[in-house]
Amino acid sequence: MKLFAENILLAGVLILLLYSCQPAGQVALYADKPFNKLSDYHFFMGRQSALKPNTGVLPYDLITPLFSDYAEKARFVWMPEGQSAQILENGDIDFPEGTVLIKNFFYDLEARRQLIETRLLVREESGWTPLTYIWDESQRDASLSITGGFAAVDVPLPDGTSHSIRYVIPNKNQCKTCHESGGNIKPIGPKVKHLNREYTYEEGSANQLAMWTNHQFLNNYSEVDHTARTIAWDDPSAPLEDRALAYLEVNCGTCHKADGSAYVSGLHISPDSDPYQLGICKTPVSAGKGSGGFRYDINPGHPESSILVYRMKSDDPGAMMPEIGRKMMHSEGVQLISDWIASMDGSCD
Amino acid sequence: MRFYIIYFAVCLFFLSCAESPSVRVDEEGSEKILLALLEADSGAVIEIPEGFYAFKRSLSLDGVPGVTIKGAGMGKSILSFENQIDGAEGLLIKADQITLEDFTIQDSKGDAIKVQDAEGIVFRRVETTWTHGASEDNGGYGIYPVGCTSVLIEGCEASYAADAGIYVGQSNQVVMRDNYAHHNVAGLEIENSRNVEAYNNLAEENTGGLLIFDMPGLPQANGYNVKVYDNTVRSNNHKNFAPEGGVVSTLPPGTGMLIIAHRDVEVYNNEVTDYKTLGLGVISWYFTERPFETDNGFDPYYSNVSVHDNTFQRRRAIPDITKEFGQMLNGLFIGKPQDIVVDGIFENDGVHLCLKNNGEDLRFANLNAETASDLGDLKKLVDRNMDRFNCDLPSFDVIPPAL
Repeated sequence: MKLFAENILLAGVLILLLYSCQPAGQVALYADKPFNKLSDYHFFMGRQSALKPNTGVLPYDLITPLFSDYAEKARFVWMPEGQSAQILENGDIDFPEGTVLIKNFFYDLEARRQLIETRLLVREESGWTPLTYIWDESQRDASLSITGGFAAVDVPLPDGTSHSIRYVIPNKNQCKTCHESGGNIKPIGPKVKHLNREYTYEEGSANQLAMWTNHQFLNNYSEVDHTARTIAWDDPSAPLEDRALAYLEVNCGTCHKADGSAYVSGLHISPDSDPYQLGICKTPVSAGKGSGGFRYDINPGHPESSILVYRMKSDDPGAMMPEIGRKMMHSEGVQLISDWIASMDGSCD
Repeated sequence: MRFYIIYFAVCLFFLSCAESPSVRVDEEGSEKILLALLEADSGAVIEIPEGFYAFKRSLSLDGVPGVTIKGAGMGKSILSFENQIDGAEGLLIKADQITLEDFTIQDSKGDAIKVQDAEGIVFRRVETTWTHGASEDNGGYGIYPVGCTSVLIEGCEASYAADAGIYVGQSNQVVMRDNYAHHNVAGLEIENSRNVEAYNNLAEENTGGLLIFDMPGLPQANGYNVKVYDNTVRSNNHKNFAPEGGVVSTLPPGTGMLIIAHRDVEVYNNEVTDYKTLGLGVISWYFTERPFETDNGFDPYYSNVSVHDNTFQRRRAIPDITKEFGQMLNGLFIGKPQDIVVDGIFENDGVHLCLKNNGEDLRFANLNAETASDLGDLKKLVDRNMDRFNCDLPSFDVIPPAL
């Protein structure tokens, strides 16, 4: 009897083991309508919330990321078997049809990890489609959402304290606000200059572009100039101005560019912009209360009276910048931009 | 004792007024509207029944052409953003051939309705307002098409915007007619726009009634071909409640019309009345004393501006002293509102401005401000003679919206 019970137990354990080791199945992409559950894609093996990538799913990271309320972001890329992307002359990456860029937003809280949302950019035949999956309370799976939503989060801050916010999960149309380029939706992060650094993979450290090439995700790495590299905004050894411009390009320049959604403002924030386009001594046009009562986007030497800094600090939806994707201030970013403006010579008057 | 009763009655009276009328929020309807916009197919007609709808985040329509959003009337189908926590506008539209009709947007945290890059946008009997009165915390613009082509704004009502009630920016082929803009900082504003006609509008109780500006540093560097006629612009003496910073925050209360750095403008048959500071100002960008770049082709001067056959009737009042421009006019013409003021800063000696048949006994001032550095200079330079501007300018055609 005892033996029987032991056998049952053993069988149970074996079944459990088998079940947990069972391959997740290959990554699958929907034919016409997006899957309702994130798990249906099989991007991750086993327990979904562990974000353990399936075969053919490669993690990646960006040198200077967009600030999103201190959320951690775990990024992955997947391409259909036999497909590969091409580096274009301007350093953008032209992804093949079927590519999926996967971005998981989460917080590592003291007790547990809280996954909030997973955003997909799917390269369909007609272009990129943005999809948002919201993680359920049990953290077992995430479900497709059109309307987005809110999530209560105690955001852990770098100084060890925390700050409660209502994290905003974007709706379908909001994705385009940032991902718009010349009227179309495009990826923002995965470009040569943003990827061009070491990443610690399970099998060891390697340059991300080289690894993508190893995985046959890139097909012309060795033939093109791949030396461009974004400055890490938080690298204290880099020059202040370079760090500030890298931060601004990623956090502002995706909309504030000639073919971005904020082009109408005439404020174009890229390292190639002239000082006026960058906001130095530029007066606001349609900022409304976003001006904060100040006269210039950047008032050289005076972060305290620069609209740019005011709007980075604000959490009023009618005044803050970026307009969406942020509920709280990025103190370290504000400090960096303030230091940069404080270091400027000259005067607007 | 009687005193107490009166006191009590007065208290009751105030209490009853302070109580806001209870409105039932149609939660289910709000959710429906949100989804309808996100899932709209091209050509969809989204109907908003009479009711009060509340939203926590911006509504938006993106990339889907031919959509009509139709309510049951201004003040009947009300979309409230009083409790908005996300998004910089109430309704954001980036799509072509859109018609917005018969509804009210109120209390958005930023602009009420922003339409960007649309080809073909009609605002018809749409109201935008902020319900807590004039405040710098109100959103900047009420009705706000920007970067659009073929725009029709008609029968709309816009109030309490902290910048402009109805604002057309960097757009082409625009008609604004039969609108009512009141209690905004600027009633109607046309900025860096081309081929614009504004007629039969009523602008009253704003800080400034109707503005035609060219601003530097914008992708569409200059506007031109603007005709403004048959409008009533009266009693625009409201306190300026725009946050400091923007040009509009420098607008002195009591401004009828103001033209800055624009070319090819014809202003005629308008009634501009009851202004306490100035009826019409025509100034160059230099006069604003704000830096600018001409790299993108921005022209800081005004030229080919014709103002004729208008009625100007100033208020008997002390001009504004809250803004620099008002203080300057008060300094020059102590206590006397002016009808037409020009800064007299021209690029060269050509004909830039014609003023004709705008009534008798006009208080006119050419400030000749080019070389002035302070009020003392201006006092010496100011020229009250309008003869120099007695001229005609060639007419121009305005390309209408293609709708």
